[in-house]
Parts: sequence; C-alpha cells; structure tokens
Amino acid sequence: MNKEDAFTQAGKTAVLQNIHGTMQFLQRFPPFNQMENAHLAYLVEQCQLRFYAPGDSIIKPADGTVEHFYIVKQGRVVGERPHTAKGGTETTFDIATGECFPLAALLGERATRTEHLAADDTFCLQLNKLAFIKLFALSSPFRDFALRGVSSLLDQVNQQVQQKAVETLGTQYSLNTRLGELAMRHPVSCSPTTPLREAVTLMHEQQVGSIVVVDEHKAPVGIFTLRDLRQVVADGTGDFNQGIERHMTQAPFSLTPDHSAFDAAIAMTERHIAHVCLVKDHRLCGVVSERDLFSLQRVDLVHLARTIRNAPRVDHLVAIRGEIGQLVERMLAHGASSTQITHIITLLNDHTVCRVIELTLAEKGDPGVPFSWLCFGSEGRREQTLHTDQDNGILFEARDAAHAAEIRGKLLPLAQQINQSLALCGFTLCKGNIMAGNPELCLSRAEWARRFAAFIREATPENLLSSTIYFDLRVVWGDEQGCEQLRHEILDQVADNRLFQRMMAENALRQRPPVGRFRDFVLTRKGNEKATLDLKVQGLTPFVDGARLLALANGIEANNTLERLQQLVAREVIERLDGAAYEEAYHFIQQTRMQQHQLQTRENLPYSNRVDPDSLNHLDRRILRESLRQAQRLQSSLALRYQL
Amino acid sequence: MSLFSWLRPDGPKLTLEQQQRLEHLIAAPELSECSLREQRWVVLDLETTGLNLNKDVVLSIGAVVIEDGAIDFSQQFEQTLQREDHKLSPAVLIHGLGPSAIAAGSDPAEALLDFMEFVGDSPLLAFHAPFDQHMLGRALKDSLGYRLQHTFLDVADMAPLLCPRAHVSKAGLDQWIDYFNLQVGERHHASADALATAELALILFSRARQQQIHSPLNLQQRLNQWKRRKQAHSF
Repeated sequence: MNKEDAFTQAGKTAVLQNIHGTMQFLQRFPPFNQMENAHLAYLVEQCQLRFYAPGDSIIKPADGTVEHFYIVKQGRVVGERPHTAKGGTETTFDIATGECFPLAALLGERATRTEHLAADDTFCLQLNKLAFIKLFALSSPFRDFALRGVSSLLDQVNQQVQQKAVETLGTQYSLNTRLGELAMRHPVSCSPTTPLREAVTLMHEQQVGSIVVVDEHKAPVGIFTLRDLRQVVADGTGDFNQGIERHMTQAPFSLTPDHSAFDAAIAMTERHIAHVCLVKDHRLCGVVSERDLFSLQRVDLVHLARTIRNAPRVDHLVAIRGEIGQLVERMLAHGASSTQITHIITLLNDHTVCRVIELTLAEKGDPGVPFSWLCFGSEGRREQTLHTDQDNGILFEARDAAHAAEIRGKLLPLAQQINQSLALCGFTLCKGNIMAGNPELCLSRAEWARRFAAFIREATPENLLSSTIYFDLRVVWGDEQGCEQLRHEILDQVADNRLFQRMMAENALRQRPPVGRFRDFVLTRKGNEKATLDLKVQGLTPFVDGARLLALANGIEANNTLERLQQLVAREVIERLDGAAYEEAYHFIQQTRMQQHQLQTRENLPYSNRVDPDSLNHLDRRILRESLRQAQRLQSSLALRYQL
Repeated sequence: MSLFSWLRPDGPKLTLEQQQRLEHLIAAPELSECSLREQRWVVLDLETTGLNLNKDVVLSIGAVVIEDGAIDFSQQFEQTLQREDHKLSPAVLIHGLGPSAIAAGSDPAEALLDFMEFVGDSPLLAFHAPFDQHMLGRALKDSLGYRLQHTFLDVADMAPLLCPRAHVSKAGLDQWIDYFNLQVGERHHASADALATAELALILFSRARQQQIHSPLNLQQRLNQWKRRKQAHSF
C-alpha cells in the first residue's frame, strides 16, 4: 500500500463514534448481543456514564423505589446484605463487567433489598426507568433477559455447548428431544396371524429393521426384528408361511412419546434391545430404533454396552474402553448434561467391571462362594468421569471369624486378579489401596458392619475421611441384599449420633469454594504455573460432602448427590429453591470439569481438575462464580445447622 | 476602521444568520462555588493537521458533556471541518481523517457556531488543554472573528495534582488511561479521546471530593497553586 492509499484508507467517517463504540462493547454480553441495533443504539443514547470509587454506594434500600437500570461498564459491584445471624454484613453477590442490576427491584417497582457498592474503580451505564420500560416493551431479547435473569444465562450456556457440538459434528440433536419427535415415520405393524413371509416383505418394502405385531386395538403384543429373522434362517426350521406370532419377541418394551431420547438410550443399554415401541393410550404410535437415536454414528452407546458385555477377553475390553471417550465427546456435543454423561459412564463402567469379574471367574474357576462386588466413592455415587480410580471391595456372608478367614483366602487371589485387569482397562489402581484385593476390604457382612460402626463411634480424622468414601457404597456385581442391610445400619447409627454428624459437618467445611469477598476467584499458584482452581476438590466436594451428611443424618438411602438433594427437598430438610440452586450449580461445575477433561484428551494433556478461570468464556466464568457461591451458601447453612 | 485592518484584508465573511447566531452566543462566566456535581462541563478533544500552534488547523471536534456528575450520552458533539486547501500530512495516520472525510466535512464557521452553542456557558476540560484552547481560539478568531474566553482546566494537570502517589511516567493520556485501566474504543478519534478524557475527569472529580475540593472554583485555585509550586521547583 503506498502512502496515498494509506491516507485514503484512514479517512473513514464515523458517525457518533462513542455511541458506536459503547454498542460494540455491550455486544460482547447477553442480552445486548441479541438485541436489534436500533434498540441498542436507543439504549446507549439514553445512558449516563457514572463513576464510583471503591466503597461508594450505588443504590441502597433507603433510596426508595429503584429509578435506574445499571450496566457495569468497567470494575466490580458487590451486594451487601445485613447478616441476620452474626451481625455485620455479608457479600451476597458479585456483579462484573457487562452485567446488569437491579432487575428484580426494578421490575417489582420497589427499593432494592441489598446495598450495591463499588468494589473497585467502577463505571456504570445508568439508564432511566422510562427508557428501560420502553426497551422492555420494544425488545424481546431484552424483555426475556430481564424477566428470566440468570436462569436464562444457564439456558444460553447449554445452547452454546450444543452449538459447539453442531459445529464439530454437523448434526443437530439433543438427548432431551421427545421421542415423539424422533419417530417421524409411521410404525410398520401387522397382526399376530400375518404369515412370516408377508411380514418380512413388508419390512423389506418399507426399509425398516423391525415390525411391531399389534392386536385388534393396535396395542403392541410383540416385535419381530432383523435379528429374529437371522435366527429363523439360521435355525433352518422355520416355515415362512407360519404366523409371525410364533417367532416374535413377546411383550416388547415401550415408552410414551413424551419420554426423552435419553430414556430410550438408557433402556436400550440396560435391556440390550435395539428397538423401543412408543405407546400412547395403549395404542402403538411409533418405533424408535438405535439407529434413530444415534444415526450417522459408527460407535454408539447400545452397541458399546453390548460389545462390553460380550467381550471374550480382557484385552478386548481394553480396546473397547477407548471408544467410551469418543462416545462421551459426542454426547457432550449433542447437548447431554453432565448428569446424563456421568450416568452413562457409570453404566458402561459397571458393565466393564461385571465383564471383568465374569471373565476372571471363567479363567480362574468359580470359588464356589457367593460374593458381592462393592464400589465406593464417586463410583458408588454414580458420578464417575472418564478420569477415575478404583475404589472397590468384596462383601460375603460367613458364619464366624474363622469361616470368614477361610472364604477370604479363596476370594483374595481372584480379587487381586480383578483389580489388575481393571487397571488394564483404565481404572487406575487406588493409591490408598482401597481395593478388593486388600485383605482389609474383602470382608464378611459382620466384619464390614463392625468396621462401619467404628467409623461412627470413634470420629478420628482418618475415620471421618474413610466414612466419606465408604458410606457411598453400592453393589456392582452380585447379590444386593447384604449391602442394603449394611446401609440401614449406617443410617440408623448416624441418625443417633449427633456428635458424628457435627464432625462430618466440620469435615464438609474444610474445602472452601474459591470465591473471595473482594476478588472474583481465589486462585492458587504453584511455581510458574498459571493461577488455577480445582473444580473437583473446591467446587464439587462441598456439594458432595454436604449432601452426604444431610442424607445420612436424615435416613436417605440414595447415593447420588443430585438424588440426595432431591430427596432432601422432598423431606423438607432443605428448601425447594435452595435445592434447585444447588443442583444447578453442581451440574454446571461438573459440566465444566468434563469439558476440561475432553479438551485435555484432545490436546494429549494429562487429566487435571484444575482450571484457569481466565480460559473460560465470559458467560461460563460468570456462572462458575455464581455456582461456587452456591457451594459457599450450602456450607454456611451447614455451619448454622451444626453451630460451627 | 482599525489602523491595522490592512494586515487582515480578508476578515471572516459571515452570512446574516451566522452573524445573528454569533451575537447570541453566551459569554462565559468565571468558575463558581457551586458543587462539582452541579457544574456542567464540556470535555473537548481536537484533531489538527499537526502540532504547530501557528500553522496547523483544526480538522475535527469531538466533545462530550459531564452533567449531574455523569457523562450524558445524549449530548455529544462530533464534527469534521471542511478545509479547502487541506494538504495531506503524516498526521492523517494518527487522526485517521483522510481527504474524503475532510471534503465531506462541515463549513468551519457553521461547525464552530454549532460547537459554541453546544458549549453554552460551560467551562471546558481537555487533556493538555492549552493546546486545544489555543487551536480552538485561533479557529474561532479566523472563522468567526470570535474571542474565546471560556475557562479551560487541564486534565493533564488535574491528574498528578489529585493522584500524587501515581508515578505515571511521561504522563500522556495513554499513560493515564493505562493507569486507571480505562477501556477506550478508538484512540485518536476526537470523540473517543474526549470520552476517555471525560472518564478520567470523572475519576478525578471523585478524588477531588475525597480531598475536600468541592467546587469548580476551588479546583481551579488548587490547580493554579500546584502549577506555581511546580514552576518554583523547576528553578
């Protein structure tokens, strides 16, 4: 470019540069990024820009009905509410660049309940109420945002996750889709007396893999699939003029059109089936196949589960395990929630553990003693991610100590072999040796019961730590009754022991969520590394520990943190709104953690739960901060409850 | 007729309407004892053909208003002036006003009248105010025969006076923008620079109040003392 050209190039005329510049700034944030330009320009033109020094009050309850809407252009605003229990004030929220306040007070035409103070040198755009009302009427993204507040932000995060998925995978499809929407085609059906040949011809013409056999009221009585056809042909005994009822699978599994794609995927995985009938008012209205759920994908959940259960050797399992990573990536991409994914990983892991046990028994010979394979910790809570350790044990029935020792002698070599095989499959050996191959973890029911009772009776730090691992126990393989009895004993003892509860509460407060009073995040830095926070220990653990304590203290049998929270709400131990907020927060932190893991896998980095908040996008960062604040709230409610 | 009128053969030629508007411009009062918040301020930035006080001319004016203690986005001034014999100079790479923009600009007399009406009787703020005061003064004299008497306060002086502990080297607008972490849209655009200067001014007014400086007059007095002290030190 010569000098002349450079000069001309520079000669761009900008009309009202400052309005334009401020609009560009706002367009980095929701809801402004969705508003029409004209509406946004109107907003900016009506604004005043104010400065507040740290500690300056921006609005307070005494100011009366709120007259302005504020957007933080730069700096940070904190909410201070008088602390009811302790006196003084507590910081209730943090408002950062691009965020708005006080929506609830403005819409409710009341004074704010919280004093808003500048925490740093802060500039706010201030919009008068008249302009706010006008925008509220004109702009639907703005109205939605104002009405729904932060929960609409969470929706956007989910949309964002799915959108990323669509970009990499090219298909738009969510596991929350109603089955009714997925089953686009009219179901192919016939009556029980239809000759087999006719039914197969129908399947061929319609290019489908299954035909549903219905009675005169259109209620499904059976299903016939290509797999069944293969069977008929292989047997070579079938007469193709016989009625289809002789060859069909009776009483096919069904769901309603209102169930989700996720429900169907889980049912297929658990039941080893490839087709689910959709039934409404006892009438067949559709069929969803494995293909419909995971069309265009080579590896899928059902296929994977089936391959795991049929793997002939441990090294086959090792190969299959790699595909779980790919599956998780696709599911994340398809907008599956963290709960759905941990559920699926747990399911596939359970299948793998069962298969390893079966293969080991086949190889080493059955010891002839019934036993149950237990798992603890995150596996016990069904909250596993791909990055997982072994935490397992064996439970068996014995007459007395001598008998128990004898059985242990038989089971230990088997257990050790299983631990080693699981390690090959990617379940890292437990550093603390919490594994079934350890003689201390291969116990009779009486021995387990004694051990657990000691944890509760003598609340030493080690025992407390152990109870956080062992009390989330669950049976993966074998009879479940012994474990249920153990659980009931634990619940009874914990409910009776207020001191133990108090100690557990103290324990649950050890990990403080990394949000500070005056900074967004409190990060730790090691050497030259970037400052980070630990999503698992600092983010999830407060929820897990809190939910466990409250569940054990209130006789709730569920293991899963979200299920525990839901049951605590149902029993009115925690308030409904609090429960929902904890759930959402837990969800989000888990989701962020999984996305990190996926990213690390893609970049060939070792798994880590540490995250640099600056690496997150603005929206995620903000919600992470709010989620961690919820963890803080759960902890303060425990402190209050147990007077710590 | 003035004895020296032959030295300025081409006095500004104004239309009748422009004459009337010129006569209606409000004279600027002295700074008063009202509070800093009550005072309306106009924050100004000029883009010029260069830095020569005698030869270079004003190309564009950007200004924002501080009223009721806040920058009011509904009151903004942004105009490019038409310059007939405008020669390209390297300064274009800084202010970005190319020949086409200058040609599309407003008649200087009109633009300057618009601007002075926009200012009204408000005092002006600018970063390195003496430069803007001089350049604007000369433009008003050349195009309108108007004598600029408004008070100017220099934000470049206010900043070190009110933030004595800030060791800002070179002390340009960029350095203060960095010091306070201000987010600026497009530097070296008159309006954007005026907005940045105004944001800086808002911070400085807040500091002034903390230091018991409550009125514009008070601020002006303290600035004068500070400048005298600084000059004394430099001897």
